[in-house]
Amino acid sequence: MRFTLPVAAIGLLLAAVPGWSHHSFAAEYDSNKPITVKGTVVRLAWVNPHAYVFVDVKEEHGKITTWAFESLSPNALAQQGWNRNSLKPGDEVIVDGYLAKDGKPLADGSMHANSRKITLADGRTVFVGSSADAAYQQGK
Amino acid sequence: MRCAFLGFLVIFAAAAQPPAPPAPGGFLQNTAPKGPTPRTPEGKPDLSGVWSPGLDFARLGQVPLQPWAEALYKERRANLSKDDPEGHCLPAGVPRIAPFPFKLVQTPSLIVYLDEGNVHSYRQFFLDGRGHPKDLDPTWMGDSIAKWEGDTLVVDTIGLNDKTWLNGQGLPHSDDLHVIERYRRPDLGHLEEEITLEDSKAFTAPHSFKRTMTLMPKWEIHEYVCNEFNVDAEHLVGR
Repeated sequence: MRFTLPVAAIGLLLAAVPGWSHHSFAAEYDSNKPITVKGTVVRLAWVNPHAYVFVDVKEEHGKITTWAFESLSPNALAQQGWNRNSLKPGDEVIVDGYLAKDGKPLADGSMHANSRKITLADGRTVFVGSSADAAYQQGK
Repeated sequence: MRCAFLGFLVIFAAAAQPPAPPAPGGFLQNTAPKGPTPRTPEGKPDLSGVWSPGLDFARLGQVPLQPWAEALYKERRANLSKDDPEGHCLPAGVPRIAPFPFKLVQTPSLIVYLDEGNVHSYRQFFLDGRGHPKDLDPTWMGDSIAKWEGDTLVVDTIGLNDKTWLNGQGLPHSDDLHVIERYRRPDLGHLEEEITLEDSKAFTAPHSFKRTMTLMPKWEIHEYVCNEFNVDAEHLVGR
C-alpha cells in the first residue's frame, strides 16, 4: 500500500521563534525539510524533556534503518490524552515530521528527526503536535 | 531481532506542511476542574497542586531592554537560540517562561515550588517573616521570601545569576533582576500569576505580565533526567 503525501506550501509560520520545548526547534530541525516515514515502532521513550519514538524502516534493498523521532514532552502529550501506551512496539505507523538540520544520526546510530503526527494502521493519529507548530511557537 | 515491515517510503517535500491543529480536548482548551478555592485550616487559600501554564507560558510581552541587552537578544535570535542554557540541561531560572508543569506544596511557613522542568529545579518561598540574606551569592533560582496580602501570595525573589534566559528566545537579564510574583487561586482549577520584573542594569523600565495556570489533577510531575537523554545538545547547530 502506498499513500500520498499531503503537500502544502506554508512554511513561514514555522520560521518565527522557538517556544515549546526545552530547546530551540529551529536550531535543530529544518521546517523546510518535512519527511514522511512508514515503519514499525520498536520503542517509545516516555521521558522528559521530549518523548522519543523509535521506528524501524525497511529500505528498498531490505536494509532496516531505525529512525528516532523527537515528540513533545510527556506532559504536553498527556494533556491531549495520550500516554506511554498510545504506541506499542510492533505498531505499524506513518510518521510525519521534520529532518534534523545537521543530518547526523544520534549517538546510537538512528536517523534523527522531529515528529508532528503519527498515524496508526487503523487511521487513528497520536502524538499530534510539534515544537515547530505555530501554536507552540507563539503561545497562542 | 528487529521487526521488518512490508513497506518503505521516505519522502522529502519541497515545502513545509501547515502546522497540525491542536487535538480536540487538547491543552489549548480549558479543561480545569470546577469548584471553589480550597483553603487551609488557617483560612489561607491553598495553592497546592500540579499546575500547567499550558500555552500561556509564552505571554511575556515586550520587555524594554537597554542597548547592550537588546544587542545580546538579537545575537541570540540570530543564532536561533542554539546556546539556550535550558537546551543544555541547565536550570531554567526565575521566572523562566517555559511550558513545563510545576507542583506547589504548601505549609503555613513555607511553600515549595517543584519544577518538572527544566532539570527538576525547586524553589522555596519562605513565609516565616524572614528577609533576604545580606550579601547574597547569585544562584540559578535565587532567594525567595513570601507574604500573604489578603488572598494573594506575594513572592519576592532576588539573588539570581545572569546566566539564565528569561525565555526560549533569549531575553537577557542581569544579576540585578528582581522578580515579584503575585499568586491568586480564584477557584479550584486556576492559579493566576502576575509577574513584575525589575532590572536596573538590563531593562529601561519595570515590566509586568500575567499568566494563568490550569490545575492538572491527573498529572504528577514527571521525572526529568536531562543529561541521560539530552540527545539534542550536539545537534543544536543554529542556522
